[in-house]
Amino acid sequence: MKGSLLDRVFAPDGISVRFQPVVEAGADGTFPWCYVEGLVSGPAGTNLASADVLFSYIRRKRETTRMDRACVAAVLAAGSTFPLDVVIGLNVNAATLTSDAGFADFLKSTAARHGLAGSRLIVEIVEHTLPTETRAFRDALTALRAAGVRVALDDVGCAYSNYRMILEACPDFFKVDRYFVTGAHADPLRMEVLRSIAALGQTFGARVVAEGVESEADLAAVRAAGIGLVQGFLVVRPLSRQALDDVRRAGTSAGVATAINKEKTRC
Amino acid sequence: MRLHDSAPAVAAKRVLIVDDEKSLLVPLVHYFQRVGCVAVGAQEREEAEALLDHQEFDLIVVDLALSGYGLEGLDLIQTIRQRGRTTAVLVLSGLVTPEIEAESLRRGADAVLTKPQPLAEVVALANRLMRVTP
Repeated sequence: MKGSLLDRVFAPDGISVRFQPVVEAGADGTFPWCYVEGLVSGPAGTNLASADVLFSYIRRKRETTRMDRACVAAVLAAGSTFPLDVVIGLNVNAATLTSDAGFADFLKSTAARHGLAGSRLIVEIVEHTLPTETRAFRDALTALRAAGVRVALDDVGCAYSNYRMILEACPDFFKVDRYFVTGAHADPLRMEVLRSIAALGQTFGARVVAEGVESEADLAAVRAAGIGLVQGFLVVRPLSRQALDDVRRAGTSAGVATAINKEKTRC
Repeated sequence: MRLHDSAPAVAAKRVLIVDDEKSLLVPLVHYFQRVGCVAVGAQEREEAEALLDHQEFDLIVVDLALSGYGLEGLDLIQTIRQRGRTTAVLVLSGLVTPEIEAESLRRGADAVLTKPQPLAEVVALANRLMRVTP
């Protein structure tokens, strides 16, 4: 039995991909796309169908680097048929950027094989345990940026997403963890944190994304804090590649989902 | 013992069953589900730990030999207790010697049963353990 579940994860159909747009928090009621984040889950019918459980399992199996490569390959394959102006976000562990010397080349060559230019890609750094080998980390980011790939820092404000990591990564996007977003409309201190991150993003010349926006009230709060991009169930939940197309084409879904399909732009 | 006598006590409880033998795991999961529990099965230690990273359980039924190499179940029990969980832990293993039973209890198990064991015995003990879990 040993390794059988792991084998299923890395089997050709072991990873499922969905996409969730990051959109402009336009005050005019439109929500143009900035980019779509690729999200993966494990084999259906197993405990690993939950992404959270999947990545805990992979971390415990010490297969994070292998998993990052598999996820990149799966997301790029699934996203390769998006229209040319759609930018794709890829989650990558900071540890992979540090320890997998061939990762940047792998990402670039995989993207090229799918006809995806680097300028259409954003690497979202997740689980960012601060690299002990910052030189390798910086080199990986430099190689990716040289190919036009942009960088986002996930879960800003939480865990290891600290100021030192912000300085090391100089991200093009700050993604604010949902912890600070949920309930912000009724919490002056959360609002102050959001304003602070918005200002920091501006200083770095970065766009700021509020994650986990699930209510109109929090959307308004995020806007009021000066954050320009949002992601969350209020706008569009994660959808399969096909379903996302359907939503865009239909343009008749209720509420905000309708609005985001009116227009999409590159950020 | 009639199994359904104890069903109301465990309804809505969350149970994690960890056993690498699917032929033993699946019937247990199905039983707990039938009596209204939210029962989840895991065949590997890492799978169980990943579940525990994100979910709470009232009871964990754990085999000791999970991979065929050593007694990983003991490490799992220790991991559960090191996190300060008050979850009831029932060891269900074919490898129980007095020493292993003592070690299981030392690491934090609440009770130890030897396989094979009638399902009724497992369930009766599970019910008792869950009743005393805060």
